[in-house]
Amino acid sequence: MSPTHTDIDKLLESADAEITSIFERCSENAPNFGVRKDCFVESLKRTIEKYLVPASQTPLTQNDISEFLSQLQTDDLFMAIGCSKGSERAWWEFDQQHRSYMERVARHLAKTEIDAQEVIDQVYVELYGTRVVDGERQSKFATYSGRGSLRGWLRTVIWHSIVDLHRAGHDEVSLDEMTENVGEGAAQAGFAEQPIGGEDAMIDHLTRERYRKVTLEAIGKAFGSLDPHEKLLLLYYHREGMKLREIARLVENEDSPLRGWFQRRSANRDKEPSSRIHESTIMRWLEKCYARVLETFRSELTSVGGLKPEEADICMDLALEDLAGGSIYQNLTAT
Amino acid sequence: MANTQQNDIQNAKIQGLLARYLELRSKQTPPTELLSHLDEDTLNAFTEGRILEREAIPVVSHLSDCGFCRHRTVELVRLDMHFADLDEAVPFQDPASEPVSVSSVLSGILSRIFGTSEAAVFAHEEPKEETEDEAADDDESSEK
Repeated sequence: MSPTHTDIDKLLESADAEITSIFERCSENAPNFGVRKDCFVESLKRTIEKYLVPASQTPLTQNDISEFLSQLQTDDLFMAIGCSKGSERAWWEFDQQHRSYMERVARHLAKTEIDAQEVIDQVYVELYGTRVVDGERQSKFATYSGRGSLRGWLRTVIWHSIVDLHRAGHDEVSLDEMTENVGEGAAQAGFAEQPIGGEDAMIDHLTRERYRKVTLEAIGKAFGSLDPHEKLLLLYYHREGMKLREIARLVENEDSPLRGWFQRRSANRDKEPSSRIHESTIMRWLEKCYARVLETFRSELTSVGGLKPEEADICMDLALEDLAGGSIYQNLTAT
Repeated sequence: MANTQQNDIQNAKIQGLLARYLELRSKQTPPTELLSHLDEDTLNAFTEGRILEREAIPVVSHLSDCGFCRHRTVELVRLDMHFADLDEAVPFQDPASEPVSVSSVLSGILSRIFGTSEAAVFAHEEPKEETEDEAADDDESSEK
């Protein structure tokens, strides 16, 4: 059962000492932003309701709230609240701290200087908010939760605006193509059937087809048996073409849940809890995933597919042979 | 030694097979427009590794299935790395400068978007003193 507003209010009340401490620190750092504590608490409550509550069936605990508060980018959130409420000083600080950065990001992403300027203008208008609902201006700043950095959030907002701008000029192009999506939604290539000739060849073909079918099923089940974070790692590496150092960047934060899941069984974590993630570490994580896939793959072929171990080897060899010739997937797509 | 070589071969095979399986799988994934996508705030928090484990479970599951959002996270990581040095840079602040008003910043932006600018408005104003001076100059020059 999802918690009610009252439940969340109670949790926030219990965390009042922590919240007050954060709020006072922020107020001390930026006394002119004019952010009231009730606005600050309201922002926290909105984030908890929007993100933390629906993320799990498990009821929220005081520990969840404490962990959430401890990871907040509090000064960034404070500035965003100030800006969303129209504080002149907060806007000035924001403009001073982030405008040139935003312009560089926009210039890096946009094709022309005009596009970059258009996007910056558009983002500023959205940040301020031109729509009024129930007498309150709807500033995009209100959608910033403080979970990530404000600069990271701005990068994301600019990136989306650039994609939207690009789309507006290319209505006929799909969003996948626009974002250079590699694979998803792409039309399947048509494969020509291999010619079959003679009885021996047909028997050979049928045998191969059987092996291919069980190979596909086994690899599908092996991949399906992985944990979501393992699947994601393989997808990042094989489908998205991410480099090891890029994946390492993704898990650079020592509080990253992805990092935690991969390191959970590793003894190194206890020894060096804040150690940097190197590319070799990512490679080791990948190798563990491959090992798990291979184990399940072979187990599926032998125990479920009813193949003998040597037949499982044949499947692997056939798969390898087909990979070299690029023909296995004409058959796999048909299964 | 022989076992190691055999394992390497097996690993190479399974990697190749897996790579092609994932390629095939991505083509069979439901159209991305049928999925509800992650919002900007969550995408950013995820790429910075700053979401709680409670939230990360559904997010990671979504990213495993949704190539669109997954690709966005990749783009954001690359963007983050590209601007990593700038992130740390402290912006120059002129201590003498005064806060500009929100309205002046926005009116400049709005005027650029909607085609009227403060400059254009000012162009229609007639600074009295200057005009009078100029008029006096003109008179003088015409007298000469």
